[in-house]
Amino acid sequence: MSVIAEAAPRPRVAPTFRLPGISSPVASDSLAGKVVLIDFWASWCEPCRKSFPWMSDLQKRRAAEGLVIVAINLDKERDKADAFLDQHPAPFLVAFDPEGKTAEAYHVSGMPTSVLVGRDGTILETHIGFDPKKAGAWDAKIAEACKR
Amino acid sequence: MSSHRGVLGAALLIIVIAGMNGCAAMSVHPWDRDLLAEKKMKLVPSPTERAIDDHIYFSKEGSTGGQGVGGGGCGCN
Amino acid sequence: MQLDAPSPTRPLRHRLRSAACLLLASGACAGKATAQSGNTQLDTSTLFYTERGRTTVVEPMVRLTRSLSDGQSFSAQLVLDAMTGASPTGATPSKIAQTVTSASGSTSTTEALKVPVSPFRDFRGALDFDWVRPLGLVTPTTSAHVSRERDYRSLGASEVVSIDLMQRLTTLTVGGGYNSDEVTPIGGTPIGLSDGSVRTQGSNSKRVASGTIGLSRVLTRRWLVGVTGTRIAERGYLTEPYKVVSLLDSVGTPSDQLTEKRPESRSRSGIEASSAYHLDQDVVYTTYRYYWDDWGIRSHTLDFKYRHELGSTTYFTPHVRLYAQTQADFFSGGLQQGVPLPTFASADYRLGPLRSGTLGGTFGFHLPKSPGELTLRVEYIHQWGKGDRGDGETGDVEGPSDDHRSSVSSTVTHPTVAPVDIGTVVLGYSVGF
Repeated sequence: MSVIAEAAPRPRVAPTFRLPGISSPVASDSLAGKVVLIDFWASWCEPCRKSFPWMSDLQKRRAAEGLVIVAINLDKERDKADAFLDQHPAPFLVAFDPEGKTAEAYHVSGMPTSVLVGRDGTILETHIGFDPKKAGAWDAKIAEACKR
Repeated sequence: MSSHRGVLGAALLIIVIAGMNGCAAMSVHPWDRDLLAEKKMKLVPSPTERAIDDHIYFSKEGSTGGQGVGGGGCGCN
Repeated sequence: MQLDAPSPTRPLRHRLRSAACLLLASGACAGKATAQSGNTQLDTSTLFYTERGRTTVVEPMVRLTRSLSDGQSFSAQLVLDAMTGASPTGATPSKIAQTVTSASGSTSTTEALKVPVSPFRDFRGALDFDWVRPLGLVTPTTSAHVSRERDYRSLGASEVVSIDLMQRLTTLTVGGGYNSDEVTPIGGTPIGLSDGSVRTQGSNSKRVASGTIGLSRVLTRRWLVGVTGTRIAERGYLTEPYKVVSLLDSVGTPSDQLTEKRPESRSRSGIEASSAYHLDQDVVYTTYRYYWDDWGIRSHTLDFKYRHELGSTTYFTPHVRLYAQTQADFFSGGLQQGVPLPTFASADYRLGPLRSGTLGGTFGFHLPKSPGELTLRVEYIHQWGKGDRGDGETGDVEGPSDDHRSSVSSTVTHPTVAPVDIGTVVLGYSVGF
C-alpha cells in the first residue's frame, strides 16, 4: 500500500468549500477552530469500504476533542453514493462533489485520500489509500492534532 | 524484412502510447476512474475465456497468442 | 503428437491482468477494483469442443485463488483434457481410396477424395501455480507449470513484473519464461522424410524461451488501451512424429508417403494491440494481433466483443474473430516423386494458408439467491484454406511461397486445407467466499 505523508515546509491553507450534504449544505467556514479530517471517497472505491467503519469509530471517540470528519463523495451518480451509504453507516458529515472541483483543489491523487486539517485551517498531513494496519499510526497523529 | 517492420511497428506503437502521457494524465483524475474501476473494464475481461481461446487457436492454427511465457505443453503447431 | 491437442495453460495475458487487478486493490484505489472482496475465489469451467467428423474434446478446469490482506495471492489451477476422434495425417486426398499404416501397425483406409485421418484417443492433465505479490507500484508474478499426456511432458516457469506509472494511468509489464518439454512418440521417433520404418526409442527434448513487454494506458475516463510484444524461441524436436507428406506421381496422385520433417528451431514474434471502451452501460473490446515467425508464417487476428448489459447482473457478449495466415515455407501439399527431397516438408494444414472465422456469444447471469456468476458460451468456428472455395470441392490451390528457401514444387489440385466446422460450448461458474 502506498502512503504518502506530506509535511510541507510552509503549511498550505486548506482550500474552502461549500458543498451539498445529505440534508443541508456543508461549508468549510462552519468548521473553523475544529480539527477536520476530510476524506475523499466514492462508491466504486474498494478500500473505502474498510475505511468507513474505522472513520465512524474515530468520529465517536474524538468528537469531544473537537474532531470533525467530512467525507466528500466523488461519485458522478448520486444514487450510487446513496446505495453505498445504506450499506456503510456514516455517522459523520457527508458532502457531495460530483464534479470533483474540491478534489482538484486538494490535489487528490488517489482514492481514497484523507486530509488532516488543523485548527488553524492549514493542511497537516495527507494520506492516500487506506491500510487497516497503518490506521493506528494515523489515529495517533489525529489525536496529536486535536491536542494543539 | 517483415521481422524488422514488425519490431519497428511495435516500437512505434509503444512510443505513441507512452507519449500520450500529457493528454491522459491531465484528463483522467483519480475520481474519474469510476468506470475503469468496474470488473469488466479490463483489456482481457475474462482470463478464463482468453485461456480457452488461446488454447483452441494454438492447437488449430500456426501462430501463438502470446502464451509463450511459461506456457507450453503440446507440440500441436 | 498428432492431435489438435490442447494447449498450455494460462497465457501471459491472463497473468498480466490478474497481477494488475490485485496491485490496485491493495491500498490506493486509483483505477481498478478488486475481483472480489472475499479471500478465496473459485473459478471453474468446462469446454465441450467438437469438429465435424474429427476431434472431440472435453476439458474441465478448476482454479482456486487465495488472497491475503496485504494483496498477495496464490492460485492453483487444474485442467484435464479428454480427446478422441480423428486427426488429419497430412496425406494428400486422392481420387482413389488410400490405405495407411499407423505407427502402431494398424491400417486404415480412406475413401476417395476425403482427407486421410488417423484415429486417436488421448488424455492430458496440466497443473499451474501462480504467486502474485504487490510491492507498492511493482507487482511481480511467479508462475510454474507442469503438464502430461501420453507422449508429451512439459515443465515451465515464468516471471512477469508489472509496474504502475503516472498515478497508475500507465502499466508497464515485462516478463520472461522458460519451458522444457519432452516428446516421446508412440512407436518411437521416425527419421524425418523417410518411410518411417526406422524409429529410435526414447524422448526428444524441446526448449522454449519467451519474453514479453507490454504497456497499457488509460486514455480517457472510458477508454483503456494496451500494446504487447512477445518473442518466443523454440529449439529441439519440433516435428509432428505422426504426420506424413504424400509422394505424388506424375499426374498428382499420391502413390506413397514420407514422414514429415520440420526445422529444429523456430523464432516467433507477435504484437498485439487491444482496447476496452466503456459506453453508457456496455463495453466494446477490440484486439488486433500481428504474428510472424522464421518458418514463413505471418498472420493477422482481429477479435471483437461487445458486452451488452441486460440487467444489473446479466449480460450478453457477442463475439466475432477473424483470422488469416500465410503458409510455412516448407508447407507442401505433396512432394513430386523423382525430384530431390527438400530439407523440410510438412503437410500439416495448421502450417498452411489458413483462414478462420468465429461467431459466438457469451451469456452471463447469476442464479437467484445464489452467490457467484454463471457463464454460458456458444461458438461456431469455420476454418478453411486459401484457394479452397470453402465448399469442400477440389479447386486449384496456390503453390508454396516464392521464398527461395522453398524447394518444393507441388502439382496438387486438391485443397491442402480442407474446411473444418467446429462448435464449442463453455459452461463456467465463479464464486468468491
